[in-house]
Amino acid sequence: MDFILASLADGLLLGFIYGIAAMGLTLIWGVMNVINLAHGPIIALGMFTVYLLFTFLGIPPYVGVLLAAVFGLLLGIIIYLIAVQGVIDAPHLSSLLATFSVNMIIIGIGTAIFSTSPRNIDLQLWSVSLGPVTLQGTRVVASLIAVLVTAALYYFLYRTRQGKYIRAVANNRAAAELVGIPSNRVLALSFGIGAMLATIAGALIATFLPFNILAGGTYELKSFVIGVLGGLGNPVGALVGGLILGLLEGIVPTFTQTTWVPVIEFVLFVIILLVRPNGLFGGEQ
Amino acid sequence: MSILEIRNVSTGYGEVQILWGTTLSLEEGKLTCLVGSNGAGKTTTLRTVMGLLKPWEGQVFFDGKDVSRLPAHAKAEMGLVLVPEGRQLFTDMTVEENLEMGATPRHARLHYAQNLERVYEMFPRLKERRSQKAGTMSGGEQQMLAVARGIMAEPKVLMIDELSLGLAPVLVLGLFETLRELKKLGITILLVEQNVQMALAVSDYGYVLAEGKVALQGPARELMEDEHVRAAYLGL
Repeated sequence: MDFILASLADGLLLGFIYGIAAMGLTLIWGVMNVINLAHGPIIALGMFTVYLLFTFLGIPPYVGVLLAAVFGLLLGIIIYLIAVQGVIDAPHLSSLLATFSVNMIIIGIGTAIFSTSPRNIDLQLWSVSLGPVTLQGTRVVASLIAVLVTAALYYFLYRTRQGKYIRAVANNRAAAELVGIPSNRVLALSFGIGAMLATIAGALIATFLPFNILAGGTYELKSFVIGVLGGLGNPVGALVGGLILGLLEGIVPTFTQTTWVPVIEFVLFVIILLVRPNGLFGGEQ
Repeated sequence: MSILEIRNVSTGYGEVQILWGTTLSLEEGKLTCLVGSNGAGKTTTLRTVMGLLKPWEGQVFFDGKDVSRLPAHAKAEMGLVLVPEGRQLFTDMTVEENLEMGATPRHARLHYAQNLERVYEMFPRLKERRSQKAGTMSGGEQQMLAVARGIMAEPKVLMIDELSLGLAPVLVLGLFETLRELKKLGITILLVEQNVQMALAVSDYGYVLAEGKVALQGPARELMEDEHVRAAYLGL
């Protein structure tokens, strides 16, 4: 029983971070109908940003998270301008291939520079014990930051003019142009924010788990599952989806081997796609 | 003085040419209508003026400037606004958010609060439904919102594509009444309309488009008396 609780708590805390990784993927999909196959490597770049800043410049990891966010925003905008902009109105296959190329480029360069040997940031914080459950400080802080990021994103999308532009372009790009919204600039910003969420997720994960340049792939796949769980393009849905997935990962290892986790996740993925193609919380479409 | 001028514009979709040298001009502060049968090129004309479609030949002048190659959002910023056919609302956003998005041009943002109040006065129904999602409203209410969103942009020229399409006669009368109010505010209006009789009744000037060209033009009252117009479009 104790073991189950501990495992659940760990899973839940991780779930918050899965949530923001998924938000990045679903935001881009929701706004421009592009599946960003470079999502994983961008997450990995977030990990490396924090790691390099910490290891070589001694910048504290949580400051590193902030810098990783800025880096992600700029990187996303650049990727959009170079690789996505030109194929935005082409069939889906073109944008899939474009972002897949970005994926391969980042992994290629990353592997050449950093190799694929595991890295980690040896960050020790306090830990809290609640009965049988011990919560590591790094995980608690990371999930708190994830909640803040979700709230900030929600506020941005629903309360600020720039955020509403993003929703307007997602809803009806032609109409957005007609009312005077420069839709291409808004798409670039959306891609930037999507990538920023990915680097934040990566940066947070790097504070408590080892990683290498390929590590983002796992989280990209989880983002897909969460995306269909929570409904694509819905930040709160993505957070809830992340928590469900985190809980699932907490529960599964208590009765079978951890290697079954992805099997169960993707069976779930297929079932949801068949039964509720708009996601569990994605009502209308 | 003409505020919007379309000079010899030819364009189309892919291989299909729709406009064959269309020329028309709007006098500032006047209500001009563009009528013609289905497929005559009315919507295409508006789309080309707005920049959603590029002219193959010819030019569009707005406020004395050649705007033929400008994208739609830049034209909206300048005060050239289209209320498109099929409304094209932000259906997942609330009524008020739609109006807020309408006020995207910089000059419109400055007067947002007072414009919002004015629009709510014109369309009290929209005020009642301000927090409702636009997509959940009735067709008539959506058309009101589409026009209201256009007004929020504080346009110099407001182009309206099919104001009355699919609406109950009572609503149509109300919307035409709104056009008169807008004219009083000094907005130049270009109206594309299936209901030729009503369109000519409220307009100052009219163009009849046929096969991508202006077939006939003149003061609206004269067009109403014209034998050909009466036979072809008014069924008289």
